[in-house]
Amino acid sequence: MLGEFEYLLITAAAGLGQNAYGAAIREEIEVTTGRKCSIGALYTTIDRLETKGLLKTWMGEATPTRGGRAKRMVRVTAKGAQAAKDFYTAVARVSRHAAWAAGGVKLGSRA
Amino acid sequence: MTTAAWRIVETAALLLEPGEREVALGDLTEANEGSLRALREVLGLAVRRQANVWKSWKPWVAGFGLALPASFLLMGASVSVSSTYERLFDARNFGACAWTGNEGYGLLLCHVLLLAGWSWTSGFVLGTLSRRTLWASILLAVLPCLFCFVRFRIAFLSKYSLFLFVAPGIVGLWRALRGVKVKSSLALLLAGSVTVLMMVAESKEALWILNWALVWPAWYLVAEAKTRTLKSAGCRVRK
Repeated sequence: MLGEFEYLLITAAAGLGQNAYGAAIREEIEVTTGRKCSIGALYTTIDRLETKGLLKTWMGEATPTRGGRAKRMVRVTAKGAQAAKDFYTAVARVSRHAAWAAGGVKLGSRA
Repeated sequence: MTTAAWRIVETAALLLEPGEREVALGDLTEANEGSLRALREVLGLAVRRQANVWKSWKPWVAGFGLALPASFLLMGASVSVSSTYERLFDARNFGACAWTGNEGYGLLLCHVLLLAGWSWTSGFVLGTLSRRTLWASILLAVLPCLFCFVRFRIAFLSKYSLFLFVAPGIVGLWRALRGVKVKSSLALLLAGSVTVLMMVAESKEALWILNWALVWPAWYLVAEAKTRTLKSAGCRVRK
């Protein structure tokens, strides 16, 4: 099962689609979670997820806004999407009776 | 961010691999991070990368299994060779046999070749195993040298006789860092020669038993060469 930060990273990358790269993912995580995301945590997690086959990365083009430095592009693989979906499903299931779960999410009958 | 502050960040970024350095500095530039935060980010990434490397067995074996013990053993071998040389070539020291026993010219040559072989293979394997933690391996090799250098007390020998092993060791290390791969046949020849020479010295009671610990780098090269051969053969079959 994915860890919390791994899930955030994969989900942020999936949401960004073709524009998913290191800095963009970092900004997305910081904006949506309201907490700082260190480059160290970001890239070590990206490496770990890539080793597991959940992400694919490659070097993108350099841009002037980056001082002429290349970016590291990220794409979520099918396996990564499935892992994120499994995590989301597990969290939703375990949270269904929690007082803070919004609206009492219906997930079908208990197995 | 000021140019001076950014220079400090760029200097710190030298701790990162070249590709990752470019990406990290690019990200920090794009995010317009302040210099202090940028420095913290770069150092944080560098520390994480180093910590990750130490999860593998290689840097531990390179540092504590090779650099540290080999440093002591090779210094001992260096002094032994120097002492024998002095005894054989300088009659004034003929009586000082404490370090060398009764080795003649043949065994001196054997020890010189062994010292070169041990040093070169140890340096090469150190470079192979601990490329990213080389600073730690070198530190663990240098500390015993400093320790012994300060305490050296053999009257007829120079303190620098401790370091005969350094030159071949550095050559081996350099070759490894340049990406040189030792072929299977050469590795076998090297390991075989070192082992035979050690057996010759042992048969003449001219080998300290702990020096057998210096033979494993040569056989590691054989194992590594064999593994490489098998992997490339496997790749060719799959194609």
